[in-house]
Amino acid sequence: MTAIDSALQPAHDTAHGHHAKPSGIGRWLFATNHKDIGSLYLWFAFSMFIFGGVLALCIRAELFRPGLQFWQPELFNQFTTLHGLIMVFGAIMPAFTGLANWMLPLMIGAPDMAFARMNNWSFWLLPPAALLLLLSFAVPGGAAAAGWTLYAPLSTQMGMGMDLTIFAIHIMGVSSIMGSINIIVTILNLRAPGMTMMKMPMFAWASLITAYLIIAVMPVLAGVVTMVLTDRHFGTHFFNAAGGGDPVLYQHIFWFFGHPEVYIMALPAFGIVSHIIPTFSRKPLFGYTSMVYATSSIAILSFMVWAHHMFTTGMPATAQLFFMYATMLIAVPTGVKVFNWIGTMWQGSMSFETPMLFAIGFICLFTVGGLSGVTLSIAAIDIQLQDTYYVVAHFHYVLVAGALFSLFAAVYYWFPKMTGRMYSEFWGKFHFWWSLLWFNVTFFPMHFLGLAGMPRRIPDYNMQFTDFNTMASVGAFCFGLGQLIFFANMLHSLRHGRPAAAKPWEGADTLEWQIATPAPYHSFVEAPDLEVGENGRIDAMHGGKHH
Amino acid sequence: MNKPPATLHDNRLLLLKLLLLACVMFVFAWGLIPVYDALCRLTGLGSLQRPDEVGSQRLAATPLAPVLLTFDATVQPGLPWQVRPLTRTLRAVPGEFVRVDYEITNASNRQVIGQAIPRYLPAAAAEYVKKLDCFCFAQQAFEPGQTKRFPVVFVIDKNVPAGLDSITLAYTIFDVPGRS
Repeated sequence: MTAIDSALQPAHDTAHGHHAKPSGIGRWLFATNHKDIGSLYLWFAFSMFIFGGVLALCIRAELFRPGLQFWQPELFNQFTTLHGLIMVFGAIMPAFTGLANWMLPLMIGAPDMAFARMNNWSFWLLPPAALLLLLSFAVPGGAAAAGWTLYAPLSTQMGMGMDLTIFAIHIMGVSSIMGSINIIVTILNLRAPGMTMMKMPMFAWASLITAYLIIAVMPVLAGVVTMVLTDRHFGTHFFNAAGGGDPVLYQHIFWFFGHPEVYIMALPAFGIVSHIIPTFSRKPLFGYTSMVYATSSIAILSFMVWAHHMFTTGMPATAQLFFMYATMLIAVPTGVKVFNWIGTMWQGSMSFETPMLFAIGFICLFTVGGLSGVTLSIAAIDIQLQDTYYVVAHFHYVLVAGALFSLFAAVYYWFPKMTGRMYSEFWGKFHFWWSLLWFNVTFFPMHFLGLAGMPRRIPDYNMQFTDFNTMASVGAFCFGLGQLIFFANMLHSLRHGRPAAAKPWEGADTLEWQIATPAPYHSFVEAPDLEVGENGRIDAMHGGKHH
Repeated sequence: MNKPPATLHDNRLLLLKLLLLACVMFVFAWGLIPVYDALCRLTGLGSLQRPDEVGSQRLAATPLAPVLLTFDATVQPGLPWQVRPLTRTLRAVPGEFVRVDYEITNASNRQVIGQAIPRYLPAAAAEYVKKLDCFCFAQQAFEPGQTKRFPVVFVIDKNVPAGLDSITLAYTIFDVPGRS
């Protein structure tokens, strides 16, 4: 029997010759392996994070003290615009897609993503889009400077930098829609036997719901920037009052995309934290079913609240009240989630490795951001705070301390599985405490600036705002510096880290920890038979083949 | 007990459905334009370009403090209009019929159609200026170089709050392209 097996082995290998690990640049250019594509996404997202971060530091350098120091206002506006666009579409979204690519097939026992070649496409559309944004700094009139929201009539008037931006958004939209289709088909069709929907890990649930959100709203963004494009070049007047259009229409369509987009950047973070908190509390996730329903209701509610970004556009009071209450309603499922995470930690046997630190940091700071969000949802208060630094503080608490911290947590958490090596725990913890400190030094004073009335997106400000701005700028530079520690830690550990065990975390119980470390290049070529508990807990695994 | 594993066909079918969803949402974005228009009509937003009805109760029974009215007009850069209010300011008692004239010139050498959009300062004053006739209710056609005079007839609602003692009525004239 054994003789026959070994005799058949070479033939088997040749028959599947195209499954061998490719080498050289072709491995990446023509990548169809979900792990390779996941890595590409993550590297791309990190380089965009650095690029967007440099833009942020350009902003903070200018705002270090009042007056114009480094940049003219036009260039400053380009920095704020591109910082926003790059962080949202270049860093956060691709990073989550990258993690989904890497981890989903491992978590649900699939051999790869459903459409491997489309996966290659959805990644390789991103670098050209990023290049267009980068190039737009060099064209006459400079890059887009209308803010990341690209409000008309600003966006209908600017130079060709805006055209490049619109085209880049189209490309990134196509990329994220293709990525999302892949995620949905993989989750719905490729789960291993036994991995039922209501047993699936939370990260899979969050990715699934996020993917649906992306498919529902990215086309709306594509539609509205297309209208801007036709207004600019083909004589239409969607947003031009001179032709009977209405600039407020732009805001309605944009925020119909824009608010779900907020949750596109938040839900995967919820999913990640729902893995890390149970792992390091050594307890199953508290209230798994309610987590699934809370995530779904957040997604549904996100379509009904868009006009809370527009309280000052002159809406009828009835509409203001509707959007105000609908927005406050979102705090309920979000509160359920925070409650469940705390419930998971309650009486848990907790340990505080780097991923756990980032996850707890996430819960604390995301809640601060959520709270300032509830403040902003009150129409009467929002009219005061609209377009002030309070808003800037709010969304950086949910996006930096929320989305970004969860991404750090995820990278530290899965780094051993991805690379087969451990990162340096000391520098990981240092990175966390350093980021936590300087993040708050940067963004907490912005609440006070906003309450005192400092408007956002300005290169110069009144003397009274100097102290808090100086603080924020110092914080921002230190925060930025800290990310180099992360980079160095990752780079060093990739080659010299100590070899990781198959299951480096005692409390980890999802499927990806059941296979060898680093994850075999072709995992689960034959689906395993699973006995699964809630949140993807593997009780028993039979079969399942890798090579 | 387990459902059979998905085939390539199943995957492609789901792919098509999701692509269709993306296309539907793209069309939905454009569909929001008529929806927005209908909602504005329904809720009465953007109702500044319709004649008001003035019932007798809107007319003052007793003399109220006069309101200082200022008339103004602006033209967007690059458009061919010259607009001039023939009366700059006047004082009117709420309930009194007021008529002022505007002179509009088409300074270009082509036929153009214009649409005037009124604005009020303070914006809250809009609901107290009851326009009975206004050139802004319709699009106006102009021959090359033609000058026309238009009346604006309105009543200041007698329910105007006491603190509102000065109202500016300003028009902006826009081109209506694609028509001649």
